[in-house]
Parts: sequence; C-alpha cells; structure tokens
Amino acid sequence: MRHKSTAAAALLLVASLAWPAVSFALNLRLSQIDASRLLLSQRVRLYVSVTDDLGRPVEDLRAEDFRVFESPDGERFTRIPRLEQFRPSAGIAEGVSFLLVLDNSGSMYDTLAGNPTEDPQAMRMTHARDAVRSFLSSMTDPKDTVGLVSYNTYYRLHAAPSKDRALVSAALEGITRPSREEAYTELYHSLSRAVREFEGLAGRKAIVILSDGENYPYSEHSGRPHPELGERVVEHTEPIRACQEEGITVYAVNFGAVKDPNLESIAVETGGTVFDARDRRELESVYRAIHEQVAGEYLLAYRATMAPAVRKFVRVVVQPAGAAAGPELSATRFYFSSTVFGLPLTSLSLLLLIPLLAAAAALWLLTALRLERRKGPAALEVLHTRVGRASTRVLPLGTAKTVIGGGRSADLTIAGAPGVKEQHATVVYDKSKKAYTVVSSGEVLVNNQPVKTRVLEPGDVIDVGGATIVFDDGEV
Amino acid sequence: MSTLVRRLIILCLGVLAGVAAWPLAELIVFNQAAFPSYLVFVAVLGAAVGLLMGAFLGAAEGITARIKSRILPGILVGAVVGVLGGAIGFLVGQAALLVIGELALQSTRSFQRVGLPVSRAIGWGFLGVFIGMVEGFRARSGKKIAVGLLGGLLGGLVGGFLLEYLRLLAPGFRLNRLVGLVILGAAIAVFYGLVEKGLAHGVLRVLNGALKGKEYLLTQSRVNIGRSRRNEVALPPYEDLADRQAQIRIRRGEAVLSNLEPKRPLLVNDRPVGGGKAGDRTGGEHRLKYDDVIRVGSVKLFYRVP
Repeated sequence: MRHKSTAAAALLLVASLAWPAVSFALNLRLSQIDASRLLLSQRVRLYVSVTDDLGRPVEDLRAEDFRVFESPDGERFTRIPRLEQFRPSAGIAEGVSFLLVLDNSGSMYDTLAGNPTEDPQAMRMTHARDAVRSFLSSMTDPKDTVGLVSYNTYYRLHAAPSKDRALVSAALEGITRPSREEAYTELYHSLSRAVREFEGLAGRKAIVILSDGENYPYSEHSGRPHPELGERVVEHTEPIRACQEEGITVYAVNFGAVKDPNLESIAVETGGTVFDARDRRELESVYRAIHEQVAGEYLLAYRATMAPAVRKFVRVVVQPAGAAAGPELSATRFYFSSTVFGLPLTSLSLLLLIPLLAAAAALWLLTALRLERRKGPAALEVLHTRVGRASTRVLPLGTAKTVIGGGRSADLTIAGAPGVKEQHATVVYDKSKKAYTVVSSGEVLVNNQPVKTRVLEPGDVIDVGGATIVFDDGEV
Repeated sequence: MSTLVRRLIILCLGVLAGVAAWPLAELIVFNQAAFPSYLVFVAVLGAAVGLLMGAFLGAAEGITARIKSRILPGILVGAVVGVLGGAIGFLVGQAALLVIGELALQSTRSFQRVGLPVSRAIGWGFLGVFIGMVEGFRARSGKKIAVGLLGGLLGGLVGGFLLEYLRLLAPGFRLNRLVGLVILGAAIAVFYGLVEKGLAHGVLRVLNGALKGKEYLLTQSRVNIGRSRRNEVALPPYEDLADRQAQIRIRRGEAVLSNLEPKRPLLVNDRPVGGGKAGDRTGGEHRLKYDDVIRVGSVKLFYRVP
C-alpha cells in the first residue's frame, strides 16, 4: 500500500507515540462517538480504530487493553469503571453506512496530470468511477449500506444509502460532465448537506469524499448569487460541526496535486483521516484501506457520567499487550451531550429562595383575599346587552329619577339597540317608602315578567330592549 | 367573584406555581452530577415541578369558591398528585422518547430538535393531566375530571413545548427556565379555564346579599345549591336556606332545576315552581332557560350562558 496516511497530531485528537525499539507503531483513533441513546439508556458507543503504521487494523486487542475516561471540561477526567459492551471488528458485525461523495467539477474531466483531454479513458472521472466500482465489489458484508453523491456548483444525490450496490453502480453513470456554470466546487456546502442523507440510519456512519481541488464557491468567484445558497459562503467549520453532532466520520481522499487546505482538518476533527491518491490503483487501495479500517474498528459502550456540559470529552487509552505490546496510546474527542433541562447556573445563590418565598407569600395573600362586595349606594349594573352597547356598566342611583333609554340625554344610554326608545324606562325613588320603582313607557321585563310599574327588590333583573340590568340596593 | 376574576386567579396561581418551581428546578439541575442516571434525574425533576404546580393550582378551588377549609387540603392533595404526575409523566415522556428514538430519529440533531421537545412536552402534558384532575377527584365529578384531563393535557403540551423550545431558541438566556416554567403554569391554567368554559352548561350568578356578584360555572351534571359548604353552589350567608335546598341536574341535555326542600318555595321568574300541587312532595321541577331568575328563600340567582 503506497498511500500515505496523514493523520494530524495538531489537535487533541490523535496522539500516538513512537516506539523506538520496535519496527511498528500503532495509531489510535476515536473515529465515531454515538451518543444518540444517551438520554434513553445512559449509553455512549465509541468506535475505536487501532491501526499499524501501514494503516492496517490491529484486531487482536482485548477489552482489558482499553480504558475509557470522560470529562465535562476536557481537563478533569473520570475513569469509566466498566465497559458495558466490547466488540472487535464491529463494522463487520454491525455493518457500516457509507456515503461516497465524488467531486464532479470540471477538472475531473482532465487527465491525471491535469491536462485537458477528450479521451474518456484518460479522464480522472473514469479512474474514480472504476475505483468506486472496485470499492462496491469489495463490500461483501450484506449489512453494509452505501449511497452516492456528486458535487460541483450543485449537490446531487444519485443514490440514497441502501443495501443495493447495483443501484449505486448504475447511478455512477448518471454523473455527467458539468457545464461551465456547474463547474464550481461547493465542497464545504456539499459535505454539510451530505450529513442529512444519514437520517434514519443507526450505527456506524462514514462519508468518503473524493476531492480533486479546493473549495471554490460559486457566489465568491462568479460574482453572482448561488441559485440555491444565494450569497452565503459555507465555511469549513460547518461540515465539521454537522458531522460531530451526528457522529459521522469523514474520510477524505485527495485525488491529484491540488488539495483543499481544510479537508484534512475536516477529516481529523470528525475522527477520520486523509489519504492521497494519484491514479486508479492508488485510489482503489485507498478505498480498500478505508473499508478495512472501518470494518476492523472496536466498539466500546459504556454508561455516561452525569456531569452536565454541552460537550463531553471522551478519552480512550490503549495499552497493547501480547504480540502488539507497546507504549500506551491515547485519543481524545468530544461529543455533543444532550441536556435534559439545559445547563445549570454557574452558581447557586440564596437569592433563589426569594421567588419561592414571594410566590408562597402571594399564595397566602390570595387565600386571604376577600372578594365580597362592600356596602355601597344603590346602583344599576348592566350584565350584558344582546344588541347595542351600554354607556356605563355600573350606574349609582341617586334620589332623583334615573332615565334608561336609547337617547344621549338618558342617564343610562343603551346605544345601537333599535327596540329601545329615547326614554324607555325611569327608575324613581320614593322617599317615604325608601324604595325604587321602575316605570316604563316601552316594553320592560322585570325578572322576565312584563311590567308597567314595579317596586324593585334587591337583585331584580330588568330587561330593557335586550339589555340585562340588575338592580343592586347596595346592601350586603 | 365573576368567572373572569376566577379565571384570572387561576392564571395567577399558575404563574406563581412557575415562579415557585423555578428555584427547586435550578437546585436539581445544579446537582445533576449527583444523580445516578438521566432517568432518575428526569423523574426527580418532573416530581419537583409537579409538587409546586400541584400545590399552587390545588389551592385554586378553595380560593375561588372562598371556602378556606378547602384550601389546605387542596394544596396537600395537589402536591401529592403533582409529585406522582410529574414523575410518571416524565417517565412516560421518556418511554415516548424511546419509541420516537427507535422509530425515526437516529440523528442527534433531529433528536435534539424534535424528539426531545416532543417527548418532554408529552411528559409536561401528563403532569398537566394529573394536576388538572385533582379538583375533579375531590368533587367526585366525572365532568370535572374530564375538564382537568383535557385542560391539563393541552396546557401541559402547549406550555411544555414552549418551555422546551425556549431553551433551544435562547440557550444562553439565564432565566429561560423561569420563563418556561411560568409559561407552563400559565398554559395549564389558561387551558383549564378554556376547557372548563367549553364544557360548562351555564353560569349561576348571585344577584343579591353577601355573595352578590359571585358566579358559579356549572360543569357537573349534578349541582347542589344550599347553605352547606359541601354544595357546589355553597351559600352559607343566606340563613333561611336549607343545607341542601335545590339541585340542577342535566337530563337529556337540559338543565332541570328542582326544589329539594318544598317548605321554602322556589320561584323562577317570580312564578312558583311546581309548588302547591296536591301530592307533589318534590317541590316541583323547572327546565332552566338562560336568563332565568331563580329565587329561593332570600337568595336570587341568575342563570346565564357560560
């Protein structure tokens, strides 16, 4: 295998130590953290790739060789006492979902050396298609799923991930040479978009992207807004975040001399690696290596700690023993941890007692509330009007006469009710009897009985042309 | 107290419940790391919020009916039922999450944005159901239980969903849990009021005397009227009434008023009901229409649309 694995040690992701006395050095990668069941079963699943310096998976490690730590801040790590599950070659046992993402920009139709050509056999795309076909034929595990996407100015899904490899093989022919307008390279956007193709798929998920050049956004270089994205330029951090959230690993293949400067960090920060390939043969071996690595990963499941954090850091430490004995290896990555009810306050203060006490005090006040009517003057209270509108809701009654009617001069005006006369009814006070009497000139009901004149009792209900008015003597 | 004031008081209690539940929720969230698992954590959180929501809203009936002896039992029963409702509701929500999660959501993002808020809203809905039904069980009224069930469920679902989404929309906002809990409490109160109104067949308004202006929303299919505080329409200040003087029953969709103590005449619209007929020991019956004026003893009542 001539490919060169360029796993970066720059970030906190991979830290492998050389072992001077032995001819091989192991690589440890935490390629996927699946925390989707965290709140359901407290369980986090880790896919751990251990490879030798040729990129081949090391498959004879035992559960005792692994130690897992978790931290809410990336500094203070807690040892996970026990693994709930340990499974070597998890990719073979469970199957892997691959999404093949092919560059379909204009340069893919040049020769390998980068010269224009009209000979299809010399074009990079032909090499890429052949390599994909050989990748497909090497996928013998019936549990694996595979899908196909191409990108240039546009993102195109040719085959959604499925178990049907023939479908993907046929879809390869659907990738056609782009026009000038289509020949830009929306690399970052397409990677972000590709994440969505995994919706509804469980387990191990990997994007294998073949790139033959830099991210070359349409809106930035054509001077016109992108038909779908508009003026928005997608940064390389966007696919990183999307893949980290969903636990998807990006394996990047640089096909040709021109490399995107951020592709490597996209791969490394999502748990994958970068490969370089110059021709069909190298490309085939790269695809094979990716498949082998993913299939040969260890699955480690453990019960997550409860410390709240947006990001939880996981560290896997391997102490290889036996034939693979060597120095301790360690890899750290993070997952986006679900929070049940948000993150806690930074500190608790006794001031928090105030709302509790205030609410309790308000409750006590409410229980002490007396909502009885006070004694007051005699009054007419309008409960509702079927038609029209009353000028006031409560009208105190004096000793003078009180006119109820439709006219403005009335003391209680029922406006907009055609059945109400200018001066429909009058309430008069009889000093000697100390009683109010209603006298009507139109139709008036008291307690639903028609009356001409009637001495009012407390609580009598007067109906004046559809307005319901209660006589209140003011006593309680 | 008019039905509007009654509804405002319940709303007020819902808001206060949210305010009171907040410090407890903060205390629990702060100590998340001390819990053995998310399941236990979630159940305890639900129970704590349920405790205060139940206690505050449990006081509503006693306060609005102005019967002090009902307030403390209401608070206690509400608190117990709230604890159960919160814990069970959140475990049910968690189970729903399990189903949703297994069926459709393998994606962390959609789990966070859809699965989690939806399942949590289901949990809050259950909490609302339990709290809403407290009064129904106290009154042993199927209709009131139905009111609580529906009102609590809708309030819990809507309030819970808003609460969960608020967290997603404004994750950095320190008071988002407070606002969320207040919305939850208010939503349960509002929906309880709306459903109560929707299921009520009428309102009885006291027209005179000490309880003048007080309104009773009639949701139950059997409403007793009298001096005793056990009645749905309890009128203790009107001393010339019998303990249980009259009754309104729903019969074939109609509200029928009957006099239970024929010694005192029952009048509707100034006309005696059934009284005086030979051999009529029930005191007579009357099919109520809206705007009827009822008079028995010294009290006058107005029957109106809810």
